[in-house]
Amino acid sequence: MNRWCRATDRARGDVLPMATVWELSKAWYHTRLAADYRGRTAAQVQEIFARFGLTSDFWASAGDPGAPQK
Amino acid sequence: MSGSDESILWEVRTFVYRWLAETTRPPTVDRVAAEFRLSAREAAAIFDELNRRHAFFLEPGTLTIRIANPFSAVRTAFRVHANGRAYFANCAWDALGIPAALHADAVIEAACAESGEPLPLAVAGGDVVAPAAAVAHFLVPFRRWYDDFVYT
Repeated sequence: MNRWCRATDRARGDVLPMATVWELSKAWYHTRLAADYRGRTAAQVQEIFARFGLTSDFWASAGDPGAPQK
Repeated sequence: MSGSDESILWEVRTFVYRWLAETTRPPTVDRVAAEFRLSAREAAAIFDELNRRHAFFLEPGTLTIRIANPFSAVRTAFRVHANGRAYFANCAWDALGIPAALHADAVIEAACAESGEPLPLAVAGGDVVAPAAAVAHFLVPFRRWYDDFVYT
């Protein structure tokens, strides 16, 4: 990972095992096709991240209502 | 937006996602206009508003859907086979996001970013199947995701 970052001149971000990514994917996308899906607030996004221990500054919200929700 | 405008906005969002799930491609704005009996101008305004709200993402300066997470409308390095169809995902997370969204098992074609070697991933029986050492590298801090969302 560090070698790839050096070779591509990219800063290292956060690294998650696939099992965690799968659990995060289910929490994030399970309702995406539902008719009542309305996006998420910044607080709801942070709540999902917190479930998976993603509480570092890397996963922090900008704090405004238009914050990313993907 | 009025209540009825708000209602049709989200109905269009749902239509776009279900169309994508069924066809692997996003609908055109013309298709949405026909489905909802909207004028071209009304359909365009809805697409622009859904793009502004990050419900999906248009190619800049167009009404063509490029990303409706976890789906990608353009070819990527992450191909997801599920429900007898083949989708493109935007990243490793979204590659697992597609079976999560479809509530389906999947076989995922991906490659290790560092080595270029194929990275076999799957979802089987509701569990992810991946090499023990496989990880996903999130490059961009969350607060900067929309600075350049395609890169993210």
